[in-house]
Amino acid sequence: MAGHKAFLWGKGEELTMKLRKFSIGVVVISVLFLFGCAHNSVRQDSQAPVVTAAVSDQNQETKSTQAPQIQPDTAKETEIKLAEDKEDITEEGEEEAPQIADPFYIWNKGWYYFNDKFYFWLLKPVSKGYSFIFPEIARIGVSNFFYNITTPIRFVNSILQFKMKDAGNELLRLVINSTVGVGGLGDFAKGQLDIKRKNEDLGQTFGAYGVGHGFYLVWPILGPSSLRDTVGLVGDGFLNPINYIRPVETSIAITAYDTVNYTSLHIGDYEDIIEAAVDPYISIRDAYVQNRKKKVDE
Amino acid sequence: MKKQFFGLILVLLLIVPFPAYAGPPLDTVKGHINKVLDVLSDSSLKGESGKSAKKAKIRSISEKMFDYNELSRRTLGQNWNKFNNEQQKEFTELYKCILEDAYADKLITYTDEKVLFNKETILSEKTCEIQTTIITKKADIPIHYRVIQKEGEWRVYDIVIEGVSLVNNYRTQFREILASKSPDGLLDILRKKVGRA
Repeated sequence: MAGHKAFLWGKGEELTMKLRKFSIGVVVISVLFLFGCAHNSVRQDSQAPVVTAAVSDQNQETKSTQAPQIQPDTAKETEIKLAEDKEDITEEGEEEAPQIADPFYIWNKGWYYFNDKFYFWLLKPVSKGYSFIFPEIARIGVSNFFYNITTPIRFVNSILQFKMKDAGNELLRLVINSTVGVGGLGDFAKGQLDIKRKNEDLGQTFGAYGVGHGFYLVWPILGPSSLRDTVGLVGDGFLNPINYIRPVETSIAITAYDTVNYTSLHIGDYEDIIEAAVDPYISIRDAYVQNRKKKVDE
Repeated sequence: MKKQFFGLILVLLLIVPFPAYAGPPLDTVKGHINKVLDVLSDSSLKGESGKSAKKAKIRSISEKMFDYNELSRRTLGQNWNKFNNEQQKEFTELYKCILEDAYADKLITYTDEKVLFNKETILSEKTCEIQTTIITKKADIPIHYRVIQKEGEWRVYDIVIEGVSLVNNYRTQFREILASKSPDGLLDILRKKVGRA
């Protein structure tokens, strides 16, 4: 069901993340965010706070229209307003959202629509039917299992980022949850020992090394990504045990099941994002970038 | 003597009103959120009529909790000045409706969530961030409230969920729309979204 492409790109992704991607929209607020982040932040608003400071429009020609046009007779008034604005903007300077280039807008938007339909027409009904049969507690167990099994991705990436404590925690979690947590079905490490989950992936590792997103990319079924994070996804694929299962069909089937299970626990998340947005495509893109930035910063 | 001194202080504390003192920002946000949780868990409000009563109550709490004017200004950023007074007012009103529809109403579907108040971080002289975590069965969701002090009161001007700032997210959307449309064009889109066109 997930298709060959899904397999290909889903290869290295951490399961949780993958699911999230899979369920495309499911993402958002609590979910989608597993991904995005931009290092090539273009601080658009804060770039033109002063009248004389023309927006440096190297990478934002379209935005240059935002530079206030001053008419002589209203100049004073505008200046005052701008002064107020400037204050605001410096105040929130550090929280200004990172931006991402979107040169493949047509491709991305096309797959965005495809993914939207894929979710509403296939993934959601299937996941709903599945959740009707299996109680939530069982589905959370399955989700924990898949999370546990993808420990190698988080362990290796923690090390690559020199986060030795996180790497140690991953090992501890693996050992504890595989044993006391009954093969990973329970998250004993978090519930009883307060060893929290922390997602790490190769895209974040690149980000920690200072590599920017490059540009935004939407993949069929996998959803929002970027050049950097796509490369990371493929790399992480080699660390995902599920991708080593043979025959390949079985591996794909398991990945698809993981996706359905994950989606069943997050029905409504994607809908919420879409409903809250004025322009859902841009909202998701921005959320992806903001969330990835947070992940890299942590 | 010591006792009397403390007694005096206690009496003073009790009788001197502090109308201008809003209390630490964390307590303010906590107070609002606890009120929301009380409404959500109010078992006397059941069924459809209870639902709409809950919605109304949450909306009136959000009225006190949020600074919609600040929210709107920050969301539009530079574009705020392209709107005339009336347009600014209408924008604020419509934006408020959208946020209420999207978030306040969504809240009432929550039932078993627990909220942890982790800490507050100073952002600037007048602003700070309250970090909370919503604990659900499926996941822990970090939600940060950014508050600003105005006239002695702390009000929320941004919510950051899993690193995604609401203000920034809408700002990006509105900026793209305003790149090709006039303020009125944007207002028109918002009117339709809210169902007032």
